[in-house]
Amino acid sequence: MTLTDERKPSEEEAANPELERGAERREAWRGFLHAVPAYAYLIVFFVLPLVIVFVFSFASRGRTGRPLLEDWNVDGWARLTDPLVRTIVGRSLLVAVMNTVFCLVIGYAFAYWIATRRKQSTRTLLLILVLIPFWSNFLVRTYAWRMLLDSDGYITQLGEFTGLWGRTLFTLPAVFLGLLYGYLPFMVLPLYAAIERIDWSLVEAGRDLYASGVKAFLRITLPLSRPGIIAGSILVFVPSLGAYVTPDILGGAKTTLLGNFIVTQFGAARNWPFGSALSGAILIVMLLATILYFRTGGRTV
Amino acid sequence: MTASTAAVGIHGVTKRFGEDVVAVDDIDLEIQDGEFFSLLGPSGCGKTTTLRMIAGLEYPTAGSIRIFGEEMGLRPPNKRPINTVFQSYALFPHMNVEDNIGFGLRMQKVEKAEVSSRVGEAIDLVRLTGLNSRRPGELSGGQQQRVALARALVNRPKVLLLDEPLGALDLKLRQTMQLELKDIQSNVGITFVYVTHDQEEALTMSDRIGVMNHGQLVQVGRSEDIYEFPSNMFVAGFVGEMSFLPGEVVETGSVRLAGGEVVRARTDSSPGTSITLILRPEKLHLYGEVSEVPPGRNVLNGSVSRRTFYGNSLSYEVELGASGSFDVQVENVPSQTRWDVGDKVVIDFHHEAASALAE
Ligand SMILES: Nc1ncnc2c1ncn2[C@@H]1O[C@H](COP(=O)(O)OP(=O)(O)OP(=O)(O)O)[C@@H](O)[C@H]1O
Ligand SMILES: [Mg+2]
Repeated sequence: MTLTDERKPSEEEAANPELERGAERREAWRGFLHAVPAYAYLIVFFVLPLVIVFVFSFASRGRTGRPLLEDWNVDGWARLTDPLVRTIVGRSLLVAVMNTVFCLVIGYAFAYWIATRRKQSTRTLLLILVLIPFWSNFLVRTYAWRMLLDSDGYITQLGEFTGLWGRTLFTLPAVFLGLLYGYLPFMVLPLYAAIERIDWSLVEAGRDLYASGVKAFLRITLPLSRPGIIAGSILVFVPSLGAYVTPDILGGAKTTLLGNFIVTQFGAARNWPFGSALSGAILIVMLLATILYFRTGGRTV
Repeated sequence: MTASTAAVGIHGVTKRFGEDVVAVDDIDLEIQDGEFFSLLGPSGCGKTTTLRMIAGLEYPTAGSIRIFGEEMGLRPPNKRPINTVFQSYALFPHMNVEDNIGFGLRMQKVEKAEVSSRVGEAIDLVRLTGLNSRRPGELSGGQQQRVALARALVNRPKVLLLDEPLGALDLKLRQTMQLELKDIQSNVGITFVYVTHDQEEALTMSDRIGVMNHGQLVQVGRSEDIYEFPSNMFVAGFVGEMSFLPGEVVETGSVRLAGGEVVRARTDSSPGTSITLILRPEKLHLYGEVSEVPPGRNVLNGSVSRRTFYGNSLSYEVELGASGSFDVQVENVPSQTRWDVGDKVVIDFHHEAASALAE
């Protein structure tokens, strides 16, 4: 009697996981079907070009600069250790990091201010103002900055009038200004989304538990904005590192950044293997940096 | 600190939001040290607003709030010897149970060793042992409620404010937590200011109750007094079941109903005043014949117009003709006669059980 009693439940237990696994498999298959268009798009426009870039990075350079898919070599990758490359990479990293920090500090204050407006209509209006620049082309806006920063531009005139600065066009500060201007919205939007979601009664609870206003911000508001900080930082850092238009238009010859350098390899210098190796390297570094950021972001902030 | 100093003194406090909304309207209230005081009232009557003003999360438009005699003025919440258990708990989602509870102590720069020992004590007090490293999201509603309570109590505040702390729990758990809260309060001896819209909860737990309506404090008193002697129609209708019969005072202790019957009742208005006679359903008795009624009681004749079954009791609606109708609650025990709709009955009540309220 005891024997049958013991057996029954174990049989049922054995049957249940099988059912569950079946359901999971069906769920997975359905998920895959839903994603087919996305996979197809990614493969055609993302994976394939990347593979091509990778292949070309091992190609050789013909006499006229034509890339030849014959004498496989690693010359392109070897050139990555050039002092020139190192200088440019260092400069680009500095620009990208600085730009991310600037955007984060200014963007956080701004997003916080928008998110704490009492009326929903005020918040919507302010967000629309953030988005309005996107209504005109980025190139056009960058040229507008070029005019403002040029010898007879208003910003230069203001600087000369106050004696604080002169012509900034074709210098690193001009590139910074352009990048900050261009990428600030990408920081503000995710930060706003994160801050607006914060339950303010948590901050009140913090104040009630003897936290000063500053402490409550550091211990509660800031950690709870983490998703926005991570998303915003990645959205700004990644394109800043590969920025091309802004440094090309506002920066001078002395401020060549990675983006411009790579374009030169594919254009004037006609060195496709080297350009491909550079692109591949950036991609790998960026991927590692993003993973690292997510990891550390998960622990500290 | 003199003996007469109230734990919380609220004097002429008004709170306006904008031009039109008067959330709290000229409240005067003193809550004594060690008291379990409840603010009771319907939704939107200003309970939360009153509590937030005591906590310092909101500042009065007019009036003064004192904690143990000390004027609070515009003092921020972190500088008040008060903690709050919030309506939605407001636990920090990015911290585990231990860090949530220790937050207040860390903010007060209490030594690390003491923080961990006091947090441990608090966790034991609210019976959350073993859950130290869980995040709030991984706790049940009742457990979250305990964390919120421990997080406030661990700071040993002079006054603990609780805003409907049991509102989100189911009935059974709520009843258990009511008893636990009451126990904890008498153990730690802290003044509790407890907000609820549940009159039963207020009656069970409180030493004294302040009933609020439309931003005003309409009656303050011991729980029993609030129930037995409501001083106005709002409290009479809001706290417990009540029947209302219109009438007028004949002389002190005597009231004439609309149908002409004269009954003895508690009165404090002068003869001729229109009043409403209020009666608790459980203080009335039904009989078949006048001869069965004990001598010296009020007697009215009526007929049963509705019967409702509640399990442990039955409720009869009894028609008195021109005088109106009221409810009689009868325990569901074998010795009680069951009446049917249409039955002629005699209602009997003690004159202490009926009060005449001036309109
Ligand atoms: N920040 C505010 N701005 C405008 N009006 C408010 C604000 N806070 C509260 N009120 C209003 O004040 C009145 C009292 O609100 P309060 O939150 O104190 O009510 P309550 O008694 O706690 O109600 P409940 O039982 O529903 O929690 C309500 O009419 C409410 O709409
Ligand atoms: Mg409330």
